[in-house]
Amino acid sequence: MIDLKLSALASAMLIAGFAPGIAYATLGEPEASVQADVAQLNGSIQVTDRSGYRLHEIQLSSGTLVREFVGPDAKVFAIAWKGPTIPNLRQTLGSYFDNYVTAAKANHLGHTRLQIQQSDLVVQAGGHMRAFSGRAYLPQAVPSGVSVGDLH
Amino acid sequence: MVTFAITGAQARAARLGFCAVLCLAVMSCGGGDGGGASGGSSSGGGTTTGSNVVSVVVDAGPLPTTNAATNTLFTTVTVCVPGSTTNCQTIDHIQVDTGSYGLRILSSVLTLALPVQTASNGEAIVECTQFVDGYSWGPVALADMQISGESASSIPIQVIGDPNYATVPSDCSSIGPAEDTVAQFGANGIIGIGPFAQDCGPNCAAAVIPATYYTCTASACQGTELAQTFQVTNPITFFATDNNGVIIQLPSVAASGAATVTGSMTFGIDTQTNNKSGSQTVLTLAGSAGGSAGQLPGELTTNFNGGILNESFLDTGSNGLYFNSSLTTCVESGLTDFYCPSSTENLTATLEGQNGMSTSVAFSVAPADTLAAADAAFSNLAGPYPDAQDTQTFDWGLPFFYGRTVFTAIESAATAVGTGPYVAF
Repeated sequence: MIDLKLSALASAMLIAGFAPGIAYATLGEPEASVQADVAQLNGSIQVTDRSGYRLHEIQLSSGTLVREFVGPDAKVFAIAWKGPTIPNLRQTLGSYFDNYVTAAKANHLGHTRLQIQQSDLVVQAGGHMRAFSGRAYLPQAVPSGVSVGDLH
Repeated sequence: MVTFAITGAQARAARLGFCAVLCLAVMSCGGGDGGGASGGSSSGGGTTTGSNVVSVVVDAGPLPTTNAATNTLFTTVTVCVPGSTTNCQTIDHIQVDTGSYGLRILSSVLTLALPVQTASNGEAIVECTQFVDGYSWGPVALADMQISGESASSIPIQVIGDPNYATVPSDCSSIGPAEDTVAQFGANGIIGIGPFAQDCGPNCAAAVIPATYYTCTASACQGTELAQTFQVTNPITFFATDNNGVIIQLPSVAASGAATVTGSMTFGIDTQTNNKSGSQTVLTLAGSAGGSAGQLPGELTTNFNGGILNESFLDTGSNGLYFNSSLTTCVESGLTDFYCPSSTENLTATLEGQNGMSTSVAFSVAPADTLAAADAAFSNLAGPYPDAQDTQTFDWGLPFFYGRTVFTAIESAATAVGTGPYVAF
């Protein structure tokens, strides 16, 4: 499935050495989009292989942990976050961001809940000031054998 | 916060079907502007009065015909230009929110010219406030604030949607939709009186956090660190003596709902004769640094239906009880994010603090499609929580507060029964 067997530390070093500038991976885009400028993030990144996907974890300076899920096709199929701030969703959702904003306006559930359920995009988020969590995933791109319940 | 949008036909059907109970509810809850409990059914112990007490109300909100509010708690505040006793404005329909920190007022309702707080380089300090469903952008201004007999001088507040600061930085708008108008925001402003002092806290003082604080010229903004002193701050912390927390007391609401609910908000805990701690169970909350089981600030544990929901919270700013369960959701358009069991479900859960103290809570879930759309207050409105952590959260929104007296103590502040952050009820 995923044949790279790198330790988290080695992966972090490898990725930190890639071209800077892109802070996050992007939903639906190749794994290469996760190449992060760790210095710019003022954070750290860890990569671990899980059953059916590879998990990139980026610790933001705000304390928020962003998790990015990469499938066997080497594309990002899910993003999750938890912490005091919401990450840059324009960057992490990429081409899905405008769709997300339009849908969030159309299904306005208040300051503490957000639920978007479309055939090609699911966004679920909740919380309040200093305590946010959420995830966005492409339901048709979730690898077989991976439970949506693991995407957090 | 049009969280309970029902189409015209459905609304009419609901009103017709529930006119009888609706009218009863209005009669039992209406009248009374002094913070009274309705029908004697409140467990809150009756009316609280005093110079540290302000009336709070649940009603259809500032835009009742176009954006009727549901389960949204409001109060009225007076703000003045710092140092002035005449250049003041009293503003109603300010949402009371224990899930945020600081006073924010929509620019469109503000008639005062408040001075904008500036950084050492002379540039304006402007904030991107993050909500789950979007952001609010606007400068941090200084104002004197009065609420009941309490006052706070020259405190940092946010003015949301100020046209003088129209250019929103890209990383702020990358949160989601803008909420810079009364219609988008659902209130004329918000008074965040939850268990912390600053809206961001030590994180924003230690580093530049994207989509939080900025310094701005007329043409451009850049992210900035900001010492906690200058951050938008829970106004209670500035009061002379009643500054360690707040007590929210609301009457019970009939199962069929109510058009208006009036209660009280009392400032301070164990600082006056009217805000003494009693035999309430004190549940401590995760502090600024988070909790021992990965909790974020302000969270506690709910034991419900066999699950341990470590990332739960009490929040007057949530307009329902939100949790995941096997209850069926409604099929009607506009209600699909609410529960519609075939008949009202009576359930129980146990809330547990970081301190290991716990208490049982009974609650009801009514079919949301049977609730009268003309009403504003429902004790039994519930829906699934969009739980990215997969069943870690129970969001105890405003329905929890009906029929209760709920104490919220601010982090590091002492009361007779403990030190915040805690909730007690």
